Order: sequence, then C-alpha cells, then structure tokens
Amino acid sequence: MSDPKISMADLEHIAKLARINLSEPEKKTFLPQLESVLEYLDVLNQANVENIEPTYRVNDQKNILRKDEVAESFNQKTALSSAPKTQDGYFTVPQTIKK
Amino acid sequence: MDLKSLTISQIQELLFSKQISAVEIVKFYLQRIKKLDPQIKSFITVTEKEALKQAENIDNRIKKGESVGKLAGAVMAVKDIFLTKDIQTTASSQVLKDYVPQYSSTIYQKLINEDAIVIGKTNTDPFAFGGSTENSGFFTTKNPWNLSKVPGGSSGGSAAAVAADFCQFALGTDTGGSIRLPASLCNISGLKPTYGLNSRYGITAMASSFDCPGVFAKNVSDLALVTEITAGIDPKDATTINNPVPNYSQILGDIDLKKLRIGIPKEYFIDPINIEVKEKVMKAAKLFESNGATLVDISLPSTKLGIAVYYILVPSEISANMARYDGIRFGRNTNNNPDITSYYMNTRGQYMEAEVKRRILIGTYALSSGYYDAYYTKASKVRTLIKNEFTNALKNVDVILAPVSPTVAWDIGAKANDPLQMYLVDAFTVCINVAGVPSVALPCGFDQTNLPIGFQLIGNFFEEAKILSIAHQYQQITDFHTNTPNL
Repeated sequence: MSDPKISMADLEHIAKLARINLSEPEKKTFLPQLESVLEYLDVLNQANVENIEPTYRVNDQKNILRKDEVAESFNQKTALSSAPKTQDGYFTVPQTIKK
Repeated sequence: MDLKSLTISQIQELLFSKQISAVEIVKFYLQRIKKLDPQIKSFITVTEKEALKQAENIDNRIKKGESVGKLAGAVMAVKDIFLTKDIQTTASSQVLKDYVPQYSSTIYQKLINEDAIVIGKTNTDPFAFGGSTENSGFFTTKNPWNLSKVPGGSSGGSAAAVAADFCQFALGTDTGGSIRLPASLCNISGLKPTYGLNSRYGITAMASSFDCPGVFAKNVSDLALVTEITAGIDPKDATTINNPVPNYSQILGDIDLKKLRIGIPKEYFIDPINIEVKEKVMKAAKLFESNGATLVDISLPSTKLGIAVYYILVPSEISANMARYDGIRFGRNTNNNPDITSYYMNTRGQYMEAEVKRRILIGTYALSSGYYDAYYTKASKVRTLIKNEFTNALKNVDVILAPVSPTVAWDIGAKANDPLQMYLVDAFTVCINVAGVPSVALPCGFDQTNLPIGFQLIGNFFEEAKILSIAHQYQQITDFHTNTPNL
C-alpha cells in the first residue's frame, strides 16, 4: 500500500483555499472518498506524453476581439435585484479591511 | 384529444390545421404533469402561467392570420441550469434556491423567439455535477420506465420529462455525458453537439472548455429541427464558431447508408460493459451492415484514460468557475459573519451540496502548488492524445458507433455513497467531451427487465448533419424509439 495521497491536514488546507467551511462529519466522509478518486487518477502514469503538447481548448481559436462599444446594460435597480443585502444602491458585504 | 407520443411536426400539423389550439396543447401537458409528475419528479418549477400566456399569444396570432415562429406549438422543458428571465433558476442547488435571474440564456431565448413554449424547469444534479440526479439539492428524479431506477444524469429531469410525455422536447447540457446518458436510460434521443455549436451564455458554468448545451426529443428528426434554431455564433460566448448553420431537418435523408463506413472501437465493447447492452448495440451495428454499410474495427487506445483526464480537468475548471459564488450579488447567504472570509466560507459551506464541495476540492487539489504539473498539465496532454485518436480514426471511417451507458438504469441509491463508482458510469461518454466532437444518442432495444438501452454515433467536428442523418435513417428502419413507458 502506497502512502496516502491526501491527509486530513491537506484536506483542511484545500478547503480553506476553496473557501468552503467543512463540518467534522463532512471531513470524515470526504477524506476516504477523495483518497480513492486520487488513487484512481494514477492510471495516468501509464500514458506516454513525451513531446505531446497540452490541449486547453478543442477548437482552433485565437483571441476573439470585439469593438469596445457602449451598449445597454442593467440599470442599478435590476443589477441589485437578486442580491441578498443592499444599502443605498450598493451591494452589502461584511467588513473587508481590519480597523 | 390525446397528444401522447406526438412529435413536434405532428403537433404543428394539428395546430396549423386548427384541429387544436396552443392553449389546448399546453393544457394537455399540464394535466399529465399534475397527474404523473408527483411520482416521477422531473420538474422543480412548472411554469403554468407563462406557458398559458405564450400559448394564448400564439393562438391569437394564428386566429388573425399573423406569422408565428418555427416552433409554434412545441412545448419544451428546460434544465434548471439555463437562466430564464423572471423564472426561478435553482441549478438544483440550495445555493440558488429562490434565485430569479434578470436575463435569459441565449439558446433558451432563441427558442422562445421561435414560439417554443416553456412548460417548466427540470431537476438535475446540482450545477450538473453528477450522473443520476441523486446529488440534487431538492429531490431525485425517477426513471419513468421503472420508478425504483435512476433516470441518469445530470440532465435526468429533462430526459424523464420527454420520456414521460410532459413535453415534446427538452434542453440539457452534456459536459461528460449528461445528455446522452439519461437519453439512453430513458429511451429517448439526445444530441451532444460539437463544442462551440450552441452558445453557453446564461447557463451556470461547469467546465467551460467542455460544456455543451443540447437537446432531447422523441426522435432524431425533432433534434434536428430544434438544433437548427439553437446553433450558431453568439457574440456573448466567444467560443461559439462562426460556421453557417445547415437546415439539419431538411437534409436528414442525405447520407447513403450503402456508402457508409462505421467504426467499431474495441475499447467500448469490453469491461465494464454489460452483456445485454453489448448485444443490443452490436445488433444496431449489424442492422447498418445489413443495409449496406461497412463495419470497420478501430482502436481508440487512450479510452481507458478518459475518466482520469476528465476528473482532473473538469473539477479544475469547476473550482475556478464555482469560486464566483460569493453570496453577495445573488444566491443564498449567511448572517453574523465577523469578516468577508468567514462570510464566503460559511455561505459556501452551508449551502453547497456534498458533490459540489467534492468537485471543488478535487479541482483545488489538482491545481494547487506542487500538484499542478502532475495532474492538470499531464491530463491536458493526454487530452491531446484522446482528441487525436478520434480525428485520426474519423479519417478512415465516417462515423463511430459505441454504447452510451455500460449498463441499463441502476437502482436509486446503489452508487450514491461511492463517488468513484458514480464517475465510472461515464466511461463511454467522457472521451467524446474531452475531444470536443459531436455525438447523438438513440434507443436500440431493451434488456430482459424492459429497461432501455441506447447507442451513440460519434462524428468529426461540426458533422452534426451527418450523424443526425445516419441516426434518422436508423429510426426509419427501427421502432425502439417509439416505445413509451406504462404510466
């Protein structure tokens, strides 16, 4: 049996990077599930990719440019209409800078 | 009038000869939905008011002799990850419960502009992450052929709605098989178009270099009819391609089966395929052969790497796309957070479903420092191999024929606690998305327990006209697709 791919500390670290709060039961469930998925991914070690270029998009497209023109967009009321909290025509967020 | 099993053109014939009104068509489907959907659970939202309003408007124009759109009278269900202005769009996730978008997705709007009538928004795995609808933040959709089985996913609600005759066609998305798999498990037809044929604008993003919106219908001819409206360049999606869109529905007879070379990839007829599935799919191939086509044995050796490539690249793109759910501009939020980081962490932690979290975590891991080259770069290189194998094979054959699902529909709950087992159901569909080529799924029989089996015809880039034509001709000489479940 090889070393585990992911430790509890790794899981907690990536959950923090991903900005997801995990409960203790979730961590216990996810850890072996992620371990088995990551172990499965080892199948890629069989592939010989020497001198192979990576593919990031399947169609041959270069930069798609358009004219920078002013067009109609949402008014303020519409733009804010789905927000859970607003104030004075702005989105409301918790404090972002320490006092 | 009993409209059960009618296709778009059959319904339109009744509408234009004034044997039926659009309102009557809508009422027929609403009645079926009210009677049967409490068991099947294909819809999250039924848009009764909107549908009747659209229908009245169409009827008025027909009465006055005014022009109507190409899809007048056609009733559609829409996967709940397509944004629909003023109609709740949940993506089947608690994250977006009660979210009402301010704008509509491009291809939904194109269909509405042609007078297609929206009857409701369908269940899916949350944000389309899954293969059975069991990950939905609301409920699991049942397979209309057997209510103890999954419909497949992620677009399971749309597939079930077409199979149960709650509509004539439905919109779905196929990132790794999410149209073809449920189509196959529910005995309907589904098209995963070439990447870039249908605009992704206004659809919740899963993996942006894979996502393909597409359509489900009762037969291939209706797939063609709807796709000729959805397809084409969209300035709001820079990855759509500026090719002329053929009138697919007018050229369905163009391919001569006698001249056809059909590739049979050996890697798609081995483990994990079920023996009955293999027999029925081979029988479909033999039917083409007896109608003059030539079957050619081919090999796509990197197929065995498809799931691994997919489950690195797709979660990586998911983690990037899902990073945008901040609970500030729309969606659910949490209170009493001391700072912005805990606001994000608690909001995302509280409302994202387990599978949403798992995929974000896998992607974050694969993209994180120290692992990037081993996972993301390596998988992107294998993606090149898989793509080249398809395009090289398609130099020698016109089309590739393969199964869609290794098995028929499985029991609800059977794979729900084992993500890896659930991922493996896509063994025969993901490589097509990794490559970006088009594929149409269609019915080819039933197993001994009367559960549907399907196969797919895979073409080269932008060869929708060819694969639809071949699939249509198969449906002219078979009647599997006309079978409907006893409800």
